[in-house]
Formats: sequence, C-alpha cells, structure tokens
Amino acid sequence: MSTQSGVTVRPSRARRNHTRARLCVFAALAAALLLASVFAEALCPYDPNAQNLAEALQAPSAAHPFGTDRYGRDMLSRVLIGAQTSISSALVLVAIIAIVGTLLGVSCGLSGGALDTVVMRLSDVCLAFPGLVFAMAIAAVLDGGIQNAVLALALVSWPKYARLARSQTLAIQHTDYLLAARLSGCSPPALLLRHILPNIAGPVLVTAVLDIGTMMMELAALSFLGLGALPPAAEWGSMMSDGRSMLQTYPWVVLTPGLAIFLSVALFHLLGDAVRDWLDPRSGQSGRRGRTHGQGENI
Amino acid sequence: MRNDIFRRLLQLIPILLGITFLSFAMMHLAGSDAIAQQADASGVALSPEVMAARRAELGLDQPFLVQYVRWLGGFLTGDLGISYVSGKDVFATFVSKLPATLLLTGVSIALTVLLSIPLGILAAVRQNRFADYLIRFFSFAGNSMPNFFVALLLLYAFAVCIPIFPVISDGLSLRSVALPALTLAIAMSSKYLRQVRAAVLDELSRDYVTGARARGIRFSVTLYKSVLRSCMTTILTLLSLSIGSLLGGTAIVESIFLWDGVGKLAVDAIQMRDYPMIQAYVVWMAVIYVAVNLVTDLSYRLLDPRIRLGGERP
Amino acid sequence: MKKTRTMLLLFGLLAFALTGCGAGETSDSSSTSSDGKQLVWGDTTFNAENGEPDVNPHNDNSGWACIRYGIGETLFRFSDSMELEPWLAQSYEAVDELTWRIVLRDGVCFSSGRNLDGEAVKQCLEALVAQHARAAGDLRIAEISADGQTVTIRTEEPVPALLHYLSDPYGCIIDMEAGVTEDGIVSGTGPYRAVSLTTDTSLELVKNETYWNGTPKLDAITVRTISDGDTLTMALQAGEIDVAYGMPYASYPLFENENYRFASCTTSRAFFASMNFESEILRDPAVRKAIAMGIDKESFVETLLDGNGSAAAGVYPDSFAFGGDSVTTETYDPQGAMALLEEAGWVDMDGDGIREKDGATLTLRWLTYPSRQELPLLAESAQATLGEIGFDVQINSTADHNRLRADSGAWDIYASAMVTAPTGDPEYFFTYRCLDSSGSNDGHYHSDALETLAQELSRTFDTDRRAALAVEMQQILLDDNAYVFCSHLRMSMIAKSSVSGLTAHPCDYYEITAELDIAA
Repeated sequence: MSTQSGVTVRPSRARRNHTRARLCVFAALAAALLLASVFAEALCPYDPNAQNLAEALQAPSAAHPFGTDRYGRDMLSRVLIGAQTSISSALVLVAIIAIVGTLLGVSCGLSGGALDTVVMRLSDVCLAFPGLVFAMAIAAVLDGGIQNAVLALALVSWPKYARLARSQTLAIQHTDYLLAARLSGCSPPALLLRHILPNIAGPVLVTAVLDIGTMMMELAALSFLGLGALPPAAEWGSMMSDGRSMLQTYPWVVLTPGLAIFLSVALFHLLGDAVRDWLDPRSGQSGRRGRTHGQGENI
Repeated sequence: MRNDIFRRLLQLIPILLGITFLSFAMMHLAGSDAIAQQADASGVALSPEVMAARRAELGLDQPFLVQYVRWLGGFLTGDLGISYVSGKDVFATFVSKLPATLLLTGVSIALTVLLSIPLGILAAVRQNRFADYLIRFFSFAGNSMPNFFVALLLLYAFAVCIPIFPVISDGLSLRSVALPALTLAIAMSSKYLRQVRAAVLDELSRDYVTGARARGIRFSVTLYKSVLRSCMTTILTLLSLSIGSLLGGTAIVESIFLWDGVGKLAVDAIQMRDYPMIQAYVVWMAVIYVAVNLVTDLSYRLLDPRIRLGGERP
Repeated sequence: MKKTRTMLLLFGLLAFALTGCGAGETSDSSSTSSDGKQLVWGDTTFNAENGEPDVNPHNDNSGWACIRYGIGETLFRFSDSMELEPWLAQSYEAVDELTWRIVLRDGVCFSSGRNLDGEAVKQCLEALVAQHARAAGDLRIAEISADGQTVTIRTEEPVPALLHYLSDPYGCIIDMEAGVTEDGIVSGTGPYRAVSLTTDTSLELVKNETYWNGTPKLDAITVRTISDGDTLTMALQAGEIDVAYGMPYASYPLFENENYRFASCTTSRAFFASMNFESEILRDPAVRKAIAMGIDKESFVETLLDGNGSAAAGVYPDSFAFGGDSVTTETYDPQGAMALLEEAGWVDMDGDGIREKDGATLTLRWLTYPSRQELPLLAESAQATLGEIGFDVQINSTADHNRLRADSGAWDIYASAMVTAPTGDPEYFFTYRCLDSSGSNDGHYHSDALETLAQELSRTFDTDRRAALAVEMQQILLDDNAYVFCSHLRMSMIAKSSVSGLTAHPCDYYEITAELDIAA
C-alpha cells in the first residue's frame, strides 16, 4: 500500500489470491508443526529422558546436533518432545481464555444489567490482583503439574478477552446492519453466531495469537511453584529458565529451546495474520477495530 | 465530569475490600506462614516452642477472620502495620521503593513509544517490503524471548563486552535505568508495533486518506496530522494496560538489574508470607488500577469529545 | 516519501540515542583512588529474605552478616577442624554442670572506643537472650555476673554445648552502650566498622583503626547484595566487584583462569533425603535400603555439581572429628538394590518397568524445592538412577514445600538442605530433625536406641564422649536408612587474582578478616 501504487481503493484479485496462498502455506506449516509434535517420539534420535552423565554438556556435534544438557540428555530429542507439552498447553490455555472470555464479554455487551456489572467487577479484581498470590493458592489446593498451571493462568487471564469482546460488541451493537438484522426477526443465538462473532473474530484472533508466546513464558514462570511440566518431561519455557546460568558457558542449553519458541511463535503470528487477512473483507487491514475506549482492547 | 471522577473513586471501595479480602484468604489457603518460611530460608531449624511464641507475637495464631479484621481496622486508621520479616513499618518500606518503580515505568514507557510508533508506522507504510519484514521479524523475536533472557543478553552486551552501562546499578540514575528500561521496552514494543502497524493500515485505507491524497496533500502531512491522531486511542489503551502492570513492578528484571522497586518487594513478601506487606501491595495495585483507568478515560475524552466519560461502564 | 522514511528512522534512532546519552552523564562510579585501598564484595545471601536485614547479631540471622563481614567477633571461634579455640575469651573453666567462668582477653576494644570487659559481655548477652528466641532456647541462661575481665554464666539446666552456642554468629559481642542504630548498625570488635547500611542493597565498612589483632589491610569495603546469580557473574566479569559469594556453578568455568582465584572449603551444609515413615512402602526396610543403594552420590557430586561438593556418608563432612568416614553406609549398587527388592517380593509383574508387591507399586513422591540449585539436580538424577532399579519417582519441586512437608500424606521422600552443625556441635541436628520431640521430624522417624543416646548426649560434657555418641547416633540413622545423606556443599568464594588473604572456612562464618587485601 505504498504511495507510488496510485489510488487503489479495492484490493486487486491478485492480492486476494496472494492472501489465500499465504494462508495455505502457513496453515500447512502449522499443521506440520503440530504433526511433528504429535509424532515427536518417532522423530527423536535418542530417548529424551535417558541420562548419560558421561556425555553431559557436550557442544553440538554430528551425534548430538543440539548438544546435550547437564544430565547428558540429547537436546534435539528434548526440544522435539518438548513441543508436545509446550505447544499443546499454550494452545489449550489460549483457546480456553479466548473462548470463555469472548463469550462472557459478548453476553455482557448484549445483555448489560446485573450480569454485566458482576462480570466486569470480577474482571476488575482479576486484573488488579497479583497473579502470584493466586498461583500460590492454586498450587496449594491442587497438585503440581502443567494442567494446573494452565488452570491457574486461565483463571487470571480471561478478563482481557472479556473486555475486548465486550467493547467490540458495544461498538457494533448500534450499527445499521445489526439493527436491520434484529428488526428482521433474527433470533439472539443466530444474531450472535451470524453477525456478532464473525465481526469481532479478527481482533480476538490477533490478541490470541499474540498471547501464545507470552503464555509459554508464563507457564514456565510458574514452574518454581511446582506448577509446570513435571520432571523429567521437557517443556521449552522451563528448559530456558533452568539453563539460564549456562548462557555464557553452555549456550546451546538455552538457545535451542529458545529457537523452538521463536519459530513457533513466529509461525503462529504469521498464521494469525493470514487468517485475519483472509477473514477480513477489506484484505490487508485489521478489520473493524472498535475505536471505543474499551479496556483491554489488546495486549 | 467531577461527578464522574467521584463515582470512579467510589468504585475503589468495593475493589479494595474485595481484593484485600481475597488476597488474605488466598494466602491462608496457600498454607505455611512467615515464621516457617523464615526458619526455612535461613536453613537453621527453630524449636516448636520458639516458633509458637513468635506466631503468638505476630497474632498468627488467631483465626483468619480475626486477622483480617484486625488488618482492616489498622488500614482504616492509616496504619498498614509492621513487616513480619524486617520488623519495619510497611508503609515507609513500600513508599521507599516507589521512586525506582516510577522512574523505570516512565523511562520504559517513553522508550516503548519511541520504538513502537515509528517502527509500526514504518512497517505499515512499507507493508510487505523489506523494512516491514525486518521489523516484524524483530517483533516475533521480542515476543518470544523471556524477559530474563533479554535482560541477560543486554547486560552481557552492554555491560560486560562493551562496558557502557554498569552491571550494578548506582541508584536512580539514567545510566542505570537504561538497560532495565530497554529490556521492558523491547518486550512491549514488539507487541505494540504490530498493533500500531495494524491501526495505521486500517486508517490508510479509509476514504479521507484517499481523498486527501487525491487533493494533492502531501502524504507525510496526512500521516502525521490525521492518521497518527486516529491511532492514538489504540496506543492509549495499550499504554494504560502496560503502565498498570509496570507500576506493579517487574520482579525478574528488578532482581537482575538490582533495581530496588516494588516488584521484588512483592514477590519476596508473597514467598515469605509477609501478610502486611502483601496487603500493602494489593492496595497499591487496586489504587493504580482505578487511577490508570480514570486517567485513560479522561484522555480518551480529550482526544475524542464524543466519548462520554465512564460511558462504557454502568 | 523519502523524507518520511528518514524522519521515521531518525525517530527510532532517537530512542536508542536517549539511552546512549545517559551513559555520558554520570561518570564512572568505580573511581576508588581517592581514599586508599577499597574492595567491593558481592554476596547473594545478604538480604532480608535470609533473615539478614542488617548486621545486628541480636536480630534474626543478621549475626551471620556481622561475623562474615568482620564487624563482630565471638568469645570462641572454630578451628579449621571445627574445634573450639579462644577468640575474645582468653580461657574458660567449667565450675560445675551449670556454671561457666570465662576470662576475657585484655586490650580489646569496640570500634566505639569502649574497652571489652566483663560488664560489656554481660550487657550484650542479656540483650541477646531478651531479643533472640533461638539464642535464649539454646543458651538457657539463668544469670550472668561480671567482675573485671571475668564473666560467670549460670544456666538453668546443664548445657554441655554452651561454648559452641556462644560461638554461633548470634554470639557476636557488641557494645550495648553504643547501641543499635535505626539502620541496624552495631559496634563490634572486628577489623572493620560498619558506617552505613541499606537492607537488601549495600553495606559500607571502614577499617577499625584500633583493631586488637593486627592491622586491617584495606581502608574501606563495600558489601553489595546481588541476589541474582547471573548478575553476580557479570559484575565480577565486568570488574565491578572484587569478590563474589554465591556464584552459580555453571559460571565457574568463566573464572577458572589466572585472572581469578577460588577460595573453597567443604561445609556442613548437607543435601539429604528424609524418608517418610508414615508412607506404606517406605515402612519396608528393604525399600529404604534399596533407595540408599540406588542414589549415585559420586556422579551427582562429580558431574552435576562439577566437583563442588563431596559425597556424604553421614550427617557431618570430613572436617569434623565425628564426621566423614567415621560412619558407614550403603554405596551405589543398582544390581544389589534390584536383587534386594526381588528378594523382598517387589517384582515387576506387568512389565512397565515399575515393581509391585501386593497391589502396591513402588511409586515415590519426591518432595524438594528449587531455591537451592543442587536440590532439583539431585531429584532428577535420583529419578533416573532409581528408575533403573524399578522405582517410579514423581518429583514435586516447589517453593511451597514447607506446607507440604508438614503433611505426611503428601510425600514419600523429602530432599532438603540444612547446615547440620552450625555451632560445630553434633547435638543440633538430632534435636531438630530425628527425635520424637523434634520440630522438624517430618517423616515421623522413631528409634528407641536413638532416643536413649540423645538423652545421654544432652547430659555429656566430655568432648570425646560427645563425638563418640554422635558417631553411634549417626550409625543408627544410617542402619535404619531413615535418611540418605547425599553430599556436603563445597562453598567457594571467587575473587580477582589481585585479592589476597581470602580463606574459606568449614563453618562459613569467617570471610572478611584483617588479612584480606587487594593489590593496587
């Protein structure tokens, strides 16, 4: 969309095809990543949990392309197997908060009244409350393990989506086409499914995709409370923070899981962009971004 | 308008009551207490009698509700109590950490704005060109690196290899705040510049831009006069959220850069079960939360007179 | 268009320039030449979280800071083999089971200028037991009287280890007339004098001009609290500190060259696993013995700790008369452990690699915590080696372990770290961990023989007999496999090679001494 291209109001056909091609490429790559994580066990050159202290902290070589960690475990195998925990837990977490948060937000926006007040006050408390206190209580009531880390984070992270969805709903509620749909006797569920959700999907999707990488970090940050992948399971975020002191001395222990996070975060971002462009009738733009003053429009 | 502000301040009361009670309840649910945590941290065991005596001294042997009401009573009369760990006045300790947190918040927000707006606009203007790809690459990188990792890389690069900044902060100086602020700014900018890019792209496609261009108005003028202004709401929303969380402190960055802010204070307090200190922190979080929301809404109104303050909320 | 782009780039560069400008404004903080020889000491442990908010020995664990940084000294000190020798005291006499007469050294004065005499010691110890619950419980002082350079202490009940307790950091003798400042600064008899202190940040020391035992070689020392290990590493690399205490092991290779020197010593901080006797499977002595045989202590110490520790047999390290090889225990023997389990009826019937017996599986819930870098390593190493002999080890490494260990239904093995002999005397460990009356006998271990010997130990004054009892009692723990002692910490301080006179001590108390020096 540079100035030199002249005055183009409508995107060209070529552009739309380009968008679709992009979507296909990234979707294929994401599918490949997911497949790789599902079949990681078969791809691992070594048993990811087998310790061999005689081979501890070896630099990358032909035998161990990513080197070995301090227990002498093969880093490549651990990064591969780590995809299972890291990607699935981050995706599940983001899916939960995005879906629950959006549904709550849309309901608040549509119905208003007591429901709106209660949910919004709850979200105030969640947003203003220190997450660590919360995680500590969760760790005390439930046991450790990554699923409880997901739960702890889900309980404090939904408000962002609720607020985003609510402000987006409020923004489109009084638009002409929505009024028209209402007047023509569209039932509330149909209204929600056919008119509201498609319109707010873009911003929610962008936020969700942006959150995937963040959530991987957050999941790792909880591991000191025993909320996280249980040893010997590999998980990228914890692998990075465990290896933190080795950044100067044995950098591959930190950098290889870091690279894995980077690649998957980048891939999900690009996929998110492609999906949004494809969904958006005005290709290449961010869709109907509500310019209301909604809290938590994005992070 | 004054009524609106007053109403907002009234909102603070239920939030304060709600979250102070909640945090008290949760810390009790989390088990252990300051005495046990301290005995353990020092690695020197205490006899049960000694521990019981110290619990009684702090009132930790009382039922949970009694403890909360006692704290609330103190809070209402302006007394936040004494730290279980240091034995010092909680309010004074807390306030002594605020300048560092405020400075770090200010500088990192400034850096974030200075990085994300120009880079976001550049990426939008050069959409799908090399500059756009490069900027987006850095955005992915910034978004996938944990804070501690960025912090250690920056320290290694700019304090050990090329020693322009100190490893050990020498107090509240620009020289010391640079690296921690940059660490936080990199993480935030890599999210924001994508939002800025999206917002600018959105604006650029609007009719008035096309119109302005058709009327022969220089593109840069349109960009700065209109587009940037329209993007401000997006940016403000983002900033308000970030300022809130920055004012709450950033424990990892603070402890790596020896930056004496409220984040590390809070994490230590939570780990040591130092209830009065945790409560002070929770109160602070509630206050900044309400204050930041209020200020953000006021500035929306300045930017766009059509918006009624508090219109979003019942 | 071109202009736009240039402007945007300039705008972006400005962001970096802002940080760059900052560099020029404040000048180099490490200019030290103005007032003589200075040294900067970086320490990860000097903080309120460890109970060391200041240097007042009567406050929590602050005595550690008081004695480590050369501010205070105790009446007696520990030799390199952890035996008592006089320090501020000249001699002592045990008058009867309850009465101790201590004669103080002449010519010692506090940094406040006051002379050290019996009255000063009396005031200090009275203030100590009034404020410090643990000291009061250890010392059981009934009455103190002073006469010139003599102090007479009478206890409520026989306290055989009284002189050891007085050598604990809380026993630093400070001038109570000079008092404690609001910041927690006290006046002691050590080679350095504290002049300013900010909790969790820094402590400034200057030379004590009137020091009684030689002339301190440095004019001023700054102790910086650096709680993050990686920051400590880089501070030493950048030369901003001269000595580092608490470096992460992974950073050691960076300093193993001629520019730095290590001062290392094995301490009595032990990493050990406690068995839970409420746990069904651990009631089986064969299972406990198999666990003791299934932990590879040597590899743990040599590879995972990179030699920064020594494999342990019993409670105390080699440096103690009653430590090291004076006791015997199981050695790493996976084949033997498997045979033992086989014999006891624990067999892997379903082929999943985990043994079962009568419907119970060999699942061990291993509770530990991450704040000591060695513990998670021990857990994962044990998980692998025990896994090979048929255990399913489930690790729960959590900062929240204190709550869990009190609940005996929540774990089978609890691995923790503890200074087993902070005062050089063996009684402490048993009193706090292994007896029916112990506050932290989390696994509810009980042994009649041990209780009897503990009774005897609490009444025995003769040092050799105490040592013999300590050996016997350790052997009981080991024969029951109630505890598995894995390693003792090898503590290291890393200094620039220009630093001299830095010696590590097995008790980890004496760090900054009059000998400490730095070449200009």
